[in-house]
Amino acid sequence: MSAVLELRDLTLGYRDLTLFRRLSMDIEAGSTLAVLGANGSGKSTFVKMLLGLMDPLGGQLNWPSGRPGEIGYLAQMTEFDRRFPIRVRDLAAMGAWRGFGFRGGLDRAARDRMTAALDEAGVLDIADRPLHQLSGGQLQRALFARVIMQDAPLILLDEPFAAVDQSTEAHLLSIIRRWRDEGRAVVLVVHDLSSVLDHCSHALLLGGQEATHGSVSDVLTPDRLVAQGYLSESQAAWMFRGVPTASEPAHV
Amino acid sequence: MFDLLTEMWSFAFMRRAFVATTVLSASVAPVGAFLVLRRLSLAGEAMAHAITPGIVIGFVTAGLSVMSLLIGGLIAGVGVAILTALLARRTILRSDASLASLYLIALAVGIFILSAAGSAVPLKSFLFGSILGIDDASMMLVGGVAMVTLVSFAFLLRPLIVSTCDPVFFETQTRRPWLVDQGFMLLLVLNLLAAFKTLGTLMAVGLMILPATAARYWASTITGQLFLGFVFAVSSCWIGLTLSYLFPDTPSGPAIVLVAGGFFIFSAVFGPLGFGGRLRKPSVSTETPVAQIHQEEKAQ
Repeated sequence: MSAVLELRDLTLGYRDLTLFRRLSMDIEAGSTLAVLGANGSGKSTFVKMLLGLMDPLGGQLNWPSGRPGEIGYLAQMTEFDRRFPIRVRDLAAMGAWRGFGFRGGLDRAARDRMTAALDEAGVLDIADRPLHQLSGGQLQRALFARVIMQDAPLILLDEPFAAVDQSTEAHLLSIIRRWRDEGRAVVLVVHDLSSVLDHCSHALLLGGQEATHGSVSDVLTPDRLVAQGYLSESQAAWMFRGVPTASEPAHV
Repeated sequence: MFDLLTEMWSFAFMRRAFVATTVLSASVAPVGAFLVLRRLSLAGEAMAHAITPGIVIGFVTAGLSVMSLLIGGLIAGVGVAILTALLARRTILRSDASLASLYLIALAVGIFILSAAGSAVPLKSFLFGSILGIDDASMMLVGGVAMVTLVSFAFLLRPLIVSTCDPVFFETQTRRPWLVDQGFMLLLVLNLLAAFKTLGTLMAVGLMILPATAARYWASTITGQLFLGFVFAVSSCWIGLTLSYLFPDTPSGPAIVLVAGGFFIFSAVFGPLGFGGRLRKPSVSTETPVAQIHQEEKAQ
């Protein structure tokens, strides 16, 4: 598969704090990368760096087919002002606002695209509601409609399931699956070890000034999770009970 | 009633006042709406005080001309805006605290210089304006600022909406997100200067904020917010001017802002997004009441 983005010898951090050193990996088209780590391990910083809002301390980001004009992005929902007077429809349209120019309405094709996006995100029937009338799950669906409208080859989602219920999570995961099948690269910051990981092809574990990248099953081993400060030993033992580990082979 | 209107209209100074405040309303209404939406209501007030030393120094050195007002006010306003941004970015203070510190210093400097210079212009007209004595140059200033503001908004509206609604998202969408912020601050200073002559430093922000906050109780869309804000602003001006004509001892600035305050209180009580909304829509409503937003915000 072709890489959308290649990270080479990347060191990320702030002036007096290094989050990790010399990470080299590819973000491939049609892959879903889960980013995990304890609080403060740099998950959101990593996403901001991919967006170009922050420069790495060292190393390079290479875009083999050029930096896409649009990178899909969903910030953590707590950063969003729900009292802003705007309808669901207009929030979704924001995903393509640069294409609409400074003024003028949406043309037929754009309107059709928007209806499809609202429908897929499950907010078509509440498209004319103002944001302050939405529940947390409905707002997250509306924000997903905006990401759909962005129509980007690389999509970054920062803890998209932190404040939504199970059925909304399942619905949004189906959208992520469609993106993957269409050959888009999805980077997903997840805050806990859950079934969400079943939908991810790769994982990046941050913590302990290290970054480990690989397939989900290779990276999220109990030893790794403990070594990088994501789980304590007793938590790891409880979570992975019944799962054979390298140090303690399962009895047959 | 009709007699009163014809009598009022027969005075040139009243005609000027009506025209000037109508144009001013069209200009300050969108600025006020975005001040409120961008959570800068208090920053607008602070900025109005912050431009005082610029206006005073311009006045003391070059007399009470529109050019000295404009240049002095712009330098002070932009200076304070840049210093505020610098303090907020490079030191531990947040931007509200930085701005508060700077505007207090600026206001003190302004009033100190004005008093020390033994000014012929009374302090009262600096604070409350003198709408009944607007000259041609001031009319030109109001007209010019209104033109610049409305043309800028025609171009800035979409980026401004996106950056106000979701600043983090907007930052990912453009290489120069600060351009919109700073452009908006410049429009704010220009409008404060246009309003300064007519309403004074203390009342200038009143015509921006109160119509916008009143409109917020009724409007669920930006278009509604902008339109209603203008309607409230222009109504406040007309009713306020009439009031100050009926009671010759009342200054027009406070009269206008008082009417705007009346619209605000009425809207807060009866508007669908104010107290009234919760009284009239009991729990059977499928809509999320404002109270729930408060609760959820507390939980976060």
